[in-house]
Amino acid sequence: MRRNSRGSWLLAIALAAVAAALPLAFLRNQYNLILLTTVALYGVLTSAWNIIGGMAGQLDLSAGAYLGLGAYTTATLLLRWNITPWVGMFAGGVVAMGFAFLVGFPLFRFRIREVWYALSSSALVVVLQVVFLLWKQVGGPMERLLPSASFSLYNLRFQSYLPYYYIMLVLLLATLFIAYRIRTRRLGYYLLALGDNEDAAEVLGVDARGSKLKALVIYAFLVGITGGLYACIYGFVHTSFFSPTISMEVAILGIVGGLGIIYGPLLATVILVTGRELLRAGLGGRLQSLYLVIYAVVLILIALLRPRGLASLLGAWRKERR
Amino acid sequence: MSGEPILQVSELCKSFGNLAALNRVSFHIAPGEILGLIGPNGAGKTTLFNTISGLYHPDGGQVAFKGQSIGGLSPHAICKLGMSRTFQVTQAFEHLSVAEAIRIGAYNRHGERGVEAKVRETVAFFGLEKIQDWKCSDLGLAPLKRVEVARAAATDPELLLLDEAGAGLNASELAELMEMLKTLRRKRDMTLCVVEHVMPMVMGLCERIIVLDYGELIAEGTPEMISKNEKVIEAYLGRRSKR
Ligand SMILES: Nc1ncnc2c1ncn2[C@@H]1O[C@H](COP(=O)(O)OP(=O)(O)OP(=O)(O)O)[C@@H](O)[C@H]1O
Ligand SMILES: [Mg+2]
Repeated sequence: MRRNSRGSWLLAIALAAVAAALPLAFLRNQYNLILLTTVALYGVLTSAWNIIGGMAGQLDLSAGAYLGLGAYTTATLLLRWNITPWVGMFAGGVVAMGFAFLVGFPLFRFRIREVWYALSSSALVVVLQVVFLLWKQVGGPMERLLPSASFSLYNLRFQSYLPYYYIMLVLLLATLFIAYRIRTRRLGYYLLALGDNEDAAEVLGVDARGSKLKALVIYAFLVGITGGLYACIYGFVHTSFFSPTISMEVAILGIVGGLGIIYGPLLATVILVTGRELLRAGLGGRLQSLYLVIYAVVLILIALLRPRGLASLLGAWRKERR
Repeated sequence: MSGEPILQVSELCKSFGNLAALNRVSFHIAPGEILGLIGPNGAGKTTLFNTISGLYHPDGGQVAFKGQSIGGLSPHAICKLGMSRTFQVTQAFEHLSVAEAIRIGAYNRHGERGVEAKVRETVAFFGLEKIQDWKCSDLGLAPLKRVEVARAAATDPELLLLDEAGAGLNASELAELMEMLKTLRRKRDMTLCVVEHVMPMVMGLCERIIVLDYGELIAEGTPEMISKNEKVIEAYLGRRSKR
C-alpha cells in the first residue's frame, strides 16, 4: 500500500515534468502549443467535474455556466476598472462559486437527482447565455475585446501560447491536487457514498445537501478561474462562452475517463481531445465534420467496451502485473 | 430499568394516502435495554424506524431522543445526536469496499486522524478482516447484512435500530450476530431496538418486546408474556389462517 502510493506520487511528478517539457519539443509551432493548451484546459474542466460528477454522482451539465461567468467577470473587471486578470480570474471563480451556491441550495434541498439534475443544470447554461445577451452593460450580442498586446503580464495577454500553456498547466496540477485531497478525505468518501445511496449515507451521519453543495461550489470555483483564463487566451468574451456543447463534452469526458478516479478524466481528455483535434486538422479541409462522426464512434465504442471508463483499462493492466 | 428513557415516542402518526401505517404509536426505550419490535408483515415496523430516524416526516406526534425533540430533524443530524440504524432491504454502497463503507460511519465521530483506527477496530470486532477489501457489490446477503450493522455501529451510536438484521442468516450466522449485539450493549453501552421475524433471536436477545399490528401498538411485555398474549397470537395466527 505505502510503497504503491509512493510510486504513484513519483509517477505523477514524472508526468508533470514531461508535460512541462513538452513545449520544448514544439516550441516553434504555435499549432502544437494551441493543442497542448486546449488539452490542459479540458483537463482542468474534466478533473474539476469529477468532483461533482464522478464522486458525488450528480450528472452535471453546467460547466459552460461557470466558464462564462468566470470569463465575463474577468473581462468586465479588466475593461471597466483596469483590474488585472490575475485578480479577475479568482474573482471570476468566486462569482461562479456564489452562483453555484444559489443554484445548488434549492436543487439539493429538494433532492433533485439524475436526469432532473442534468436537465436543470443544463438549462442554467442557456439561461445565463440569454441573460448576458440582454445585459447590455456587461454582455450584449457583440464580442467584447480585451486589450491586445504582444506581451503584457498585467493584462495577461500574450501573442504566443507558451505562457498560457504553462499557466494552464499550473491550474491543472492544482485542480488534480485538490481533487486528490478531496478524494482521500472525509468529503470524498462522503460524496462517493452519496453517489451510491443517499439514504444509507444520511443515517450514517452524512449531510447530503451540505456535502454536495461543497462539491458543486469547489467545482464552480475551479471552472470559474478557468473561464477567466479562457477569456484572456481568446482575447475576447462572447455569450457563446456559455456553451452547452462544452458542458456536455466535459461530462462525457468525465464519464468516459472513469467516474471518481482522479486521473480518469485527464486520461480521457489527453487521448480523446488530442485525437479529435488531430482528426479535425487532418480531415478538416476535406470533410468538415467527419471528425465529429469518428469522435462519436470512438466514444460509443468506449462506452460499450469499457463501461467503467478508460481508467479501468489501467486498473486491469495493473492487476495483471501484480 | 429506571431513569429517563433514551427514546420516547408519543402518539406518532404516519399515513400513506389513506393508509394509516402508524396510528398514535407511543412507547419508550430505556437506556441499556434491548427492545424487540415485532408484528406481522405490513404492521408498520419499518415505517416506524423510518419515521424515528428522520427519513420520513411524521404526520403527528412526537419523538424525543435523550429528552430532545427530534421530529423533523434530518437523518444525519439525528445520527450526530447518537442514533443510527440498518435497513431491512440492504442499502449497500456498491462502489465502496467493506472497509470504506465502515469508514463512512466512522467519520461520524472521528476526524482524519482517528478514523483509520476506528475502521480497523470495527472490522476486527465484526470479523470482517478477510473481506475488508471486497467491493460491497460483490458480497452475498449474509456478509452484506453484517457490514450494515458494522457501519452503523462505527458511528458510535447510543441507540441502534436494527431492521431484520437476522433475516436470511443461517443458524450459526445468527448466533454470531446475537453475540456481537450483546457485546455491543455490554462493552459499548449501546441501547438496541431490533425488528425481527426470527423468533429465537427475539426471544434470546430481548428483555422486553412491543408488538405492532396494522399501525397500532397491541401489546408490550417480557418475551414470556408476549408469547402467551392472546391479541398477539390472534394478530399472527388470524392473519396466517386467512392466507
Ligand atoms: N413508502 C410507502 N408508500 C406507501 N405505502 C407504504 C410505504 N411504506 C410502507 N407502506 C405501507 O405501510 C404499511 C406498513 O409497511 P412497513 O414496511 O412499515 O411494514 P413492516 O411491519 O416493516 O412489514 P415487514 O414485516 O413486511 O417488513 C404496509 O401496508 C405498506 O404497504
Ligand atoms: Mg419491514
